[in-house]
Amino acid sequence: METRIEDRLRELAPQVLGALVRRHGQFDACEDAVQEALLAAAQQWPVQGLPDNPRSWLVTVASRRLVDTWRAEGARRRREETAAALELRPEPGPEQDDTLALLFMCCHPALSVPSQLALTLRAVGGLTTVEIARAFMVPEATMAQRISRAKDRIRSSSVGLDLPPEPERADRLRVVMHVLYLVFNEGYTTSSGPALQRADLTIEAIRLTRMLHQIMPGDGEVAGLLALMLLTDARRAARSTADGQLVPLAEQQRDLWNKGYVEEGVDLLTRTLGTVPVGPYQLQAAIAAVHDEAPSAEETDWPQILALYEVLEQVSPGPIVTLNRAVAVAMVHGPRAGLALLGTLDDDERMEQTHRLEAVRAHLLELVGDLAAARESYLRAAKMTHSLPEQRQLRLRAARLS
Amino acid sequence: MKYMIMTFGSAQEGLATMGKEWMVEMIKFMTTLDEDLKKSGEFVSAEGLADGSQAKTVRFINGISVATDGPFAESKESLVGYWIVDVESEARAIDIASRIVDFVKVPIEVRPVMDAPPDF
Repeated sequence: METRIEDRLRELAPQVLGALVRRHGQFDACEDAVQEALLAAAQQWPVQGLPDNPRSWLVTVASRRLVDTWRAEGARRRREETAAALELRPEPGPEQDDTLALLFMCCHPALSVPSQLALTLRAVGGLTTVEIARAFMVPEATMAQRISRAKDRIRSSSVGLDLPPEPERADRLRVVMHVLYLVFNEGYTTSSGPALQRADLTIEAIRLTRMLHQIMPGDGEVAGLLALMLLTDARRAARSTADGQLVPLAEQQRDLWNKGYVEEGVDLLTRTLGTVPVGPYQLQAAIAAVHDEAPSAEETDWPQILALYEVLEQVSPGPIVTLNRAVAVAMVHGPRAGLALLGTLDDDERMEQTHRLEAVRAHLLELVGDLAAARESYLRAAKMTHSLPEQRQLRLRAARLS
Repeated sequence: MKYMIMTFGSAQEGLATMGKEWMVEMIKFMTTLDEDLKKSGEFVSAEGLADGSQAKTVRFINGISVATDGPFAESKESLVGYWIVDVESEARAIDIASRIVDFVKVPIEVRPVMDAPPDF
């Protein structure tokens, strides 16, 4: 029951905030008021039961909080205006547009990436500052300050609750999707802190992306992003052992995979692919789907994966795509062919900061049978990674070869 | 991304030769820096450590672990304090460190904390 109330509250949060901002302006004050209203609801609803119209209830309570704040600040004129506004019945507004406009606002390019993530989780996700601080493992005061600065920035840049004009919209949507992708990715970090708390971020990213997909069902990349998250998160239970060790895809116990997520992701892709222009998220999701649908690692349809990487490289070229394609090349045409392709990345400056080139090289050298070189590459990769479980995994693989 | 910004014993040695006014300025500088990092929403934690002369190093000697006096590294190279910041980029972490170096004029180390998502 309480979980359901919480889900309902989180779903209503952006709608209520949207309604408030439309009526009163002042995003930052409205956002605080909505958080207080959510808190009041979380305390009262489980005891008193759900109100007839939960959304109106929240809008009314949040508006009252707003008036109280303004009164406390002595903004008389504002108060009178608001008191008049409060007489109006909360109109059934275009809630979906508001939620979308809020997402665009929180992911505004004027904000730094950490601010975009934090503000999106609070204003659209309805998470409290404490929850967000815990998820990112920073002190609550730091997160509170980050959110408050993000709000200041929104005010000073006069970012309004409007959908971006058509010519900018595609670019702005890409930023929104990237922020959701980063939230998801952050949830994949299990190097420190209880793993469960981090997993909450992947759940939240999926929830928000699902919401975005409901608002924009015709956008292929939004559908692709949702599918990618579902098809990736489907493997979560198999991805690490109870003691936190990573399990590579090929060694995962496939019966632990979340079949519901796989099915949903594949359905989503089937409905999307071919009906809209193809994009990087759809292609990455399609690759994840090929892995997820293979009954065993040996039965993976690598030629299909290679073909998808070739398209991805055309749509969205970059060294990481080439790197991943090299793995597929190795699986289809043999590890030497994969190593040859990796060689083309050796002088790429963009690869200097990542351990992935060495990690893949190590794996392919191991397949070729050059164990000494493979060991060296694993150890080099271990030195370069910024992920502790991954470092352990790489050292373990090196140790296995000595 | 989290980074650790570290100061070493050489900084403490440098301080010994500084005058009172500079010391007062330095304390003010450090307080302001912490406040700024808190205000910018980047502060994770910061601690100062006692002088290396207060350290014990536990070593494996003749098959057993034994506590010995003194720091592991040379006193000059021993860690004496750190900040952990959560910032948008490495460049920003280096900016923060540069602000400290501009003031104390001794080397400061910036190193990533291992909290990136693994990509297996």
